[in-house]
Amino acid sequence: MAGFAPRVQYLAGFRCPLGGLAAGKPRVLCHGAEIFVSTGSELVYVYDQDGRLLTAVYRFPGRVWHLELSTPRRALYALCAQKGIYCLSLDQASRSVSQGAGDDRDADEDDSEDSEDGEPPCPVSPVDPDACILPDATLCAFVVLDDMLITLAQGPAQWKVQLFGCPCPGEDARPPGQIGEVELSTSSPPAGSLGEPAAPHFLPVLCCASPPGCSGPRDRLRRSGGFVLERALFGLLFGVDASLLESPVVLCGLPDGQLCCVVLKTLVTSRLAPGDPKALVKILHHLEEPVVFIGALRTESPDMEDTHPDCLVALGHCGRVLAVRASWDEAGAVAPELQEYRLPGPVLCAACGGDGRVYHSTASGLCVVDLARGGAPPDPGQPDGGPGSLPSLLCPASLGVCSVVALSVLSEVPAGGTRLLALSARGRLMTCSLDLSSAVPCPPQGPVENTGQKIKELLSGIGTVSERVSSLKKAVDQRNQALACLNEAMNVSCVLLASREGPRPISCTVTTAWSRAQLRDVLTATCRVQNGSGFSLGRGWTWCVQVLTGSRASDPDPAGSATTYTIPVDRLGPGEQREVTLTLGPSDDGTLDLPVTVACALHYSLREVLGRALASSDSLEDPSLDGCPPDMLPEQEGICLPLSDHAVDMLQCLRFPGLASPPAQAPSLLGPTGDPVDTFLGACLGPRSEPAGPASLRAKFLPPSVATIKVSAALLKAALGAGQPGDGDPPGRSRAPAGCGDPSGEPLSGQPVPGTPCCRGASAEDGCGARCPELQPTRPPCPVSPPDPGQPRDTAAGGADAAGPAEHRRPSELVRHGRAAAAGVPAAAQPQPPPGVTPPPAAARWPRCTWLRWASPPWSTGAGPATSPAPGIGV
Amino acid sequence: ELLRTASCLDLWREKNDQLVRQAKVAQDSRQFLRRQQLAQDALEGFRELLHSLQGLPPAVPVLPLELTVTCNFITVKASLAQGFTEDQAQDIQQGLERVLETQEQLGPRQECGLRGLWDSVLHYSSVLLELLPALHHLAGLQAALWLSTDCLGDLTLLLQTLNGNQSEASEDLLHLLKTWSPPAEESDGPLTLQDARGLKDVLLTASAYRQGLQELITGSLPKALSSLQEAASGLCPRPVLVQVYTALGTCLRKMGSPQRALLYLVAALKGGSPWGPPLLEASRLYRQLGNTAAELESLELLVDALSVTHSSEVPQLFIEVELLLPQPDPASPLYCGTQSQAKYLLASRCLQIGRAVDAAEHYLDLLALLLDDSEPKFSPPPCPPGPCMPEVFLEAAAALIQAGRAQDALTVCEELLSRTSSLLPKMPLLWEDARKGTKESLHCPSWVSAIYMLQGRAWVQLGAPKEAISEFSRCLELLFRATPKDKEQGPASNCEQRCMSDVALQQLRVAALISRGLQWVASGQDTKALQDFLLSVQMCPGNRDASFHLLQTLRRMDRRDEAIALWWRLEAQAKLPQENAARSLPLYLETYLSWICSPDRETLLEEFQTSLLEPCDP
Repeated sequence: MAGFAPRVQYLAGFRCPLGGLAAGKPRVLCHGAEIFVSTGSELVYVYDQDGRLLTAVYRFPGRVWHLELSTPRRALYALCAQKGIYCLSLDQASRSVSQGAGDDRDADEDDSEDSEDGEPPCPVSPVDPDACILPDATLCAFVVLDDMLITLAQGPAQWKVQLFGCPCPGEDARPPGQIGEVELSTSSPPAGSLGEPAAPHFLPVLCCASPPGCSGPRDRLRRSGGFVLERALFGLLFGVDASLLESPVVLCGLPDGQLCCVVLKTLVTSRLAPGDPKALVKILHHLEEPVVFIGALRTESPDMEDTHPDCLVALGHCGRVLAVRASWDEAGAVAPELQEYRLPGPVLCAACGGDGRVYHSTASGLCVVDLARGGAPPDPGQPDGGPGSLPSLLCPASLGVCSVVALSVLSEVPAGGTRLLALSARGRLMTCSLDLSSAVPCPPQGPVENTGQKIKELLSGIGTVSERVSSLKKAVDQRNQALACLNEAMNVSCVLLASREGPRPISCTVTTAWSRAQLRDVLTATCRVQNGSGFSLGRGWTWCVQVLTGSRASDPDPAGSATTYTIPVDRLGPGEQREVTLTLGPSDDGTLDLPVTVACALHYSLREVLGRALASSDSLEDPSLDGCPPDMLPEQEGICLPLSDHAVDMLQCLRFPGLASPPAQAPSLLGPTGDPVDTFLGACLGPRSEPAGPASLRAKFLPPSVATIKVSAALLKAALGAGQPGDGDPPGRSRAPAGCGDPSGEPLSGQPVPGTPCCRGASAEDGCGARCPELQPTRPPCPVSPPDPGQPRDTAAGGADAAGPAEHRRPSELVRHGRAAAAGVPAAAQPQPPPGVTPPPAAARWPRCTWLRWASPPWSTGAGPATSPAPGIGV
Repeated sequence: ELLRTASCLDLWREKNDQLVRQAKVAQDSRQFLRRQQLAQDALEGFRELLHSLQGLPPAVPVLPLELTVTCNFITVKASLAQGFTEDQAQDIQQGLERVLETQEQLGPRQECGLRGLWDSVLHYSSVLLELLPALHHLAGLQAALWLSTDCLGDLTLLLQTLNGNQSEASEDLLHLLKTWSPPAEESDGPLTLQDARGLKDVLLTASAYRQGLQELITGSLPKALSSLQEAASGLCPRPVLVQVYTALGTCLRKMGSPQRALLYLVAALKGGSPWGPPLLEASRLYRQLGNTAAELESLELLVDALSVTHSSEVPQLFIEVELLLPQPDPASPLYCGTQSQAKYLLASRCLQIGRAVDAAEHYLDLLALLLDDSEPKFSPPPCPPGPCMPEVFLEAAAALIQAGRAQDALTVCEELLSRTSSLLPKMPLLWEDARKGTKESLHCPSWVSAIYMLQGRAWVQLGAPKEAISEFSRCLELLFRATPKDKEQGPASNCEQRCMSDVALQQLRVAALISRGLQWVASGQDTKALQDFLLSVQMCPGNRDASFHLLQTLRRMDRRDEAIALWWRLEAQAKLPQENAARSLPLYLETYLSWICSPDRETLLEEFQTSLLEPCDP
C-alpha cells in the first residue's frame, strides 16, 4: 500500500543453504554500530554499520541456535546445538580478530560486496571450545538477564527451566552456580530415542519480563531481549508476589503452544528443596500452535508516569496472536483483557515496535499490525481517561519485503518512523526504514479526502485480483483438460498392454497390392488401423508406419533404410478405422528390395497434451504450486505403443501377366488386394458361400475348374541367387512376372486347367528350402482393382472390406517365400508419402519414444494372426 | 570370517576399555567444564560404539561385550542426567531383545514389556552362561531404574528370578537384594564403569533408605527405624548418611525418645553438609521439649546454614545412592526449604511466643532479604509452604506494632500498598462512591482491609485517634462492601485461597469494629462506640471480647437492663465449651486479636456481677 513502501538498504549477504534459511534459528542483534548475525549455521558474523563492512566471523563448534548480547558485560552468548552455551567477550573478540585479520591474509575489508558471493571477506576465527560456559547437549533456549543465565533444556518428558549465576566471559572455567530449576509440565513430550536426540523443528522461546520501578540495571533489559511491563499488567499476569518482590519473570513459549511463566526470585531450589512446578510455574495461556515470538508493546500513548509496555503479545507459528493487557472494570477493579487474533500464517519471525506495532514476517512478506490504533478512541466519559480496549480485529498491512527470517527493531525515530533490521531467507542483511506516520490503513480513520484515493486503490486492487482469478481459472481448465487426455491415453495404453494374447482391441492390418500409377506398376501397402476398444484416440495420438526395406529388416540397426510415416489420428472413436496406402516400390532404379517390413505403432505426444497446461503455470507465480515446469518434461516426450509388424515378402508380390494387365476400374468383389494366390483361394471359397445365382448353378453342374500354380524352384533359386538385382538379369524377362515359371522355363500360364484340385508337395531340393506349392485355381481370378494410393479410406463410411486374404494361413503350412526378380519389376521411385501423410523429417526415424514393448510380440513373425483357416483345398 | 569377527571384537573391546578409561579421567578432572565435556565425549563414544555393535545381527560371542557397552552407556547417561528416564528403559529393552534374537525367541513376547523380556532372557541365560555376568550387570541397572521410578512390584519379581526363585516366599525387597549375588566379572572381560556388585551395594542402601522414609511418612515407626538403621549401616556416602541420621532423629522423636533422637541429630551435624535437615529437625525437637531458647537458636543456625551457597557437588560418573533417592517434597521431614523460608520460620516463631522485639528484627531482615535489589543474591519468599507475600508484610507490621515501633509498621504498610497499588481498585473512586451513597459490590483482596486496620492500630499507638478512626473506617468500608475476590481470577487468587477463610474474615470484621469502638470510647463518643460494639456482637455473637466491650459501654451509659441481659448471656456462653479452639487464623490476626482483648476481662466480669446485679437483689 502506498504509505508503506519501506526504504530497503542491503548491507551484506551471507552464505545460506540451498533452500534458503529456515526460520526459527537465524538471529540478528544490534549493539551500537555492530550487528551480530547468525544464520543458523556455525558462523556468527559481525557487521559494522559505520564502516559498512564485515568485521569478524566466528566459527562456533556447533550450529548456533540462539544469540544473546549482554551489554553491561560486553559479552556475546551463543547456544550451539547439542553442545551448550558459549560466551565471547566482545572486547577480546574484536582484538583477536583484528590480529587474526593481519595474520591470515590481507583482508580486503573495504568491499562488503565481496560478501555477496557467500565467501566472507574476513578470516573466520574459530571459537575456542574452552569458551563453553555451560556444556549441556539438551539446551534449546536461553536468555541472559543481568548476571543471570536462564536456560530451557529439553528433558525426556518435560522441559526444564534452570537458573544459573552467569559466569563472566573471562573468568576461570568454573561451573556456573545453579540457583534453581523447575520442570514445566508438558503434555506432549519431545521425542527422544537411542540415537542422537532429534533436532527440534521449533525451538522454544524464552524472554524476561520485569516490573518497572527498579532504576538503572533494568534499562538494560530492553537490549538483552527482555522488556519491562507496566505494573498493573505485570501484577495481573504474574501475581501479587511477583509484584511485591519486584522480581523478573521468565516467559516460556513452548512448541506445543503453552505460554507459561516462572517468577525468578522464587526459583531458588536445591536438592533438598526441589522446586514444585505447581507452585512455581504458572500457565498463562495455550496458543495450541508453536509459539514463535513473545513481546510487549505500548498500546496507550505514553503518559507521564508510565511509559512501559502495557500489552503482552505472543505469536504462534500458524498466525494465532494473543494480546493481554490490564483493564479496569466499571467498579474500578483491575482485570485482564485477553484478545486472540488470527493472522495469515505461517509466521516466520516477529518483532515489536514502538507505538503498538507488531512486525511479523510470513511467507507472503513482511507485515505490520497495529494493536494501538485498532482500538476505539479513549472514551472521555470514562473515569480518569481509562484505557481503551484492544482492537477486535487486526488487519496486517504488507511492507513488501519478502521472506524475512530474522527481524529486530533497530531504532525509533520520534516522528513515527522505524528502522528494522532484517535477514532474508537468501541470507541478505538489510535495513528497512519505515515511515509509518500515515497510519495503518485499517480501520480507516483518515480524513474524508483520502477516501476517494482509498476507493481507487481498492478498485484497482479488485481489478488485479479478478484478473488473476481469471488467469488462474484458465490455467486450471487447461490442466483439467490435460488430465482428461492423459486419462484417456492411460486407458488406451492399459487396454493395449493388457491384451497380450488374443485379438488386440486396436489392431493394424497391412495388405499389399500392385497398382498402376503414372504409367508404372507400383507395389502399394494399405495399412488399416481399427479401433476395437471402447476408448477413442484423440488429440495427441499419432499413427506411425515404418517401412523397413530389404535385408535390413532383420537388422537391429535400421539406420538409413527405414522410412517412417506419421499420420495424425485426429479422432478415432470406438469402432472406427482408418486406412492409408503407401507405395513400397520399386525404386527408381527398378529394384524392389524384399522383404519389406511394415511396422505400425501408435505414438502419444505428452508435449502436445501437457505442454500448454504446464506453460501456463508460469503465470501462477506461486512457488508452492509449481509441479513440473515445461522444461522439466522428460526428453522423450511421448509414449509409443507398437501395434504390429508385417513382413511383405516375395510371394505376396507375385504378379500374373494376365491378371495384372486389365485396367483396374471395376472394383472386385474380393476387394482391392491383388495377391493371386489369395484370389485363387477366394475363388475356391466363392461357390460354397454363394447359395444362389448362376454361380451356384455352375458350382453344381460344372466340374470344378482346376488351376495349377507352379513355381519353378530353379527359377526361384536363380532369382534368389541373383542377389543383386539388375545386371545379370536378361532383359527379355523384364516383363515377365517374377518367378512365374516351371523348372523348364515355361512361363506359367495361369490358365484354367480342368481337373481335380490337387496340391503337390514341393520338392525340397531347391536351395532356398521353400516348398513350392502347386496350386490349381479353379477359376481365373478376378481382376485386381488398384488401390487408390494415398487416400486413406474410412471403411466405416465406405463399407467394411473383407480382411486381406494375405492373412489366411494356408492349411498346408504353406510358407510363401520368394523374392521378386528385380528385373521383372518396374523400377519404382522412392516411396512417396501419399498426400495427407506427413512426410517424415530428413533422417526419418521413429520418434524418440518411450517404447512400450511386449516381451515377445506374437505377431512379429510377419504373418498376420490366423483369423480363419481356409477350407481344405483337396489336400 | 571368524578371524575378522575376532579382530573386530578386539577392536570394539579396545574402544570400550578406552572409553571407560576416558570417563575415569573425566571423573578425576578438577575442572568442572573440562570434566563435563570429557564425560559428554565419552557418552557420545559409547553411543557410537553401541550403534556399530547393534548394526550387526546379534551373535552370542559378541553379546557379552555389547551388553557391557550398553551398561556403560546407561551408567554415563544416567549419571550425567542425574536420574533415570524412559530412555534408559529403551536401551535396556533393546539389549534384551538382542539377546532373545540369538535364541530366535523374539516376537509375541514383545507385548509383555520389560518384565516379560527379562523373564525370557533369564530363562535362556542358563543356556548362555557366558552372558550371565553382563546380564546381571544389566539387571542391576534395571533394578536401579525401577527403584527410582517406584516400580517395586516389577523389581521384586526381577530379583526373585535373578535369585533363581529360591527365596520365592520372600517379598522383602531388602532381603532379596541381600541374597542376590551377581557372578564375579571375569578379570579379562571388558572394562566397566561400575560392576554389578558395586551396583548391588548402592541398591541396597537406596532401597533401605527409600523404604524407611516411606514408613516414616506413613507412620509405621518401628519398621522405619529398622529400615533406616539398615541404610545407615550399609555403604552410605556422607551426605546421604546425614539425611539418614536426620530421618532416624525424626523417627525417634515421633516414637517419644527425644534423647536418642538428639544423639542421632548430633551425629548428623557432625557429618557435615547438608546442615539444613538436622538443624530443622533439632528445632522441631526442642519445640516439642518446650526449650524455646534452644529452638530459636537452632532456627538461627538453620538460617545461617542455608545462607551458605552449597557448591554444587560434583556428581560421580556412576550410579550413586543419591541418584536413586526421591526428591523430598515439602511434606517430607527432610525438606528444609531455603534461607528466607527458614528466616520466616524464625520470625514467626518469635512473634508467636511473644518475643516481639526479636520478631520485628527478623521480619525486617526477611523483608530486606526478599526485596533488596542491591544484593544480587537470590532468596525466594516463604511461599508456597508458608503464607503469601502480603501476609508476610502484614505479620511484619504486626510484629513492629507489637514491638512498639508503630512508625516502622506504617512504613511497611505503605510499602505494601504502593507496591500493589496498580492491582487494587482505585480507592479514591471508592471513597467518592461512599460519599455519594452508591453501593456497588467491589472485588478486593481482604488483606487490603487488614492493612488499613493495622495502620489504624499504629496510629492508635502513635496517639493519633483521628487518623486511627479514619483508617478503621476505611477498613470497615472495604470489609462490608467488598466481596472477597473470586478464587479463580485475579492477581491475588493464589494468596486468597490460603489466607482468608470465612471465619477469618468474620474475625477481621469484629476486630475492626471493636477497634473503632474503642477509639470512640477513648474520645468519649459512647453512642458511636455502642453502635460499633452492638454490630460486632451481632456479627459474631459468640465473641466474648465483643460482648465484654459492649457490656462495659452499656454499663458506662447506665443502660442497666440491657447490660444485665447481656451479662446473663455471657454467663451462659461461658458454660458452653469453647468453640474457637480449632480455628486457625492468620498470624497477624491472632496477634491483633490479642491487642483488643483486655487481659483482666474475667476479673472485670466479677466486678460487674457485684456492681450490676447486687442492686437488683432484694
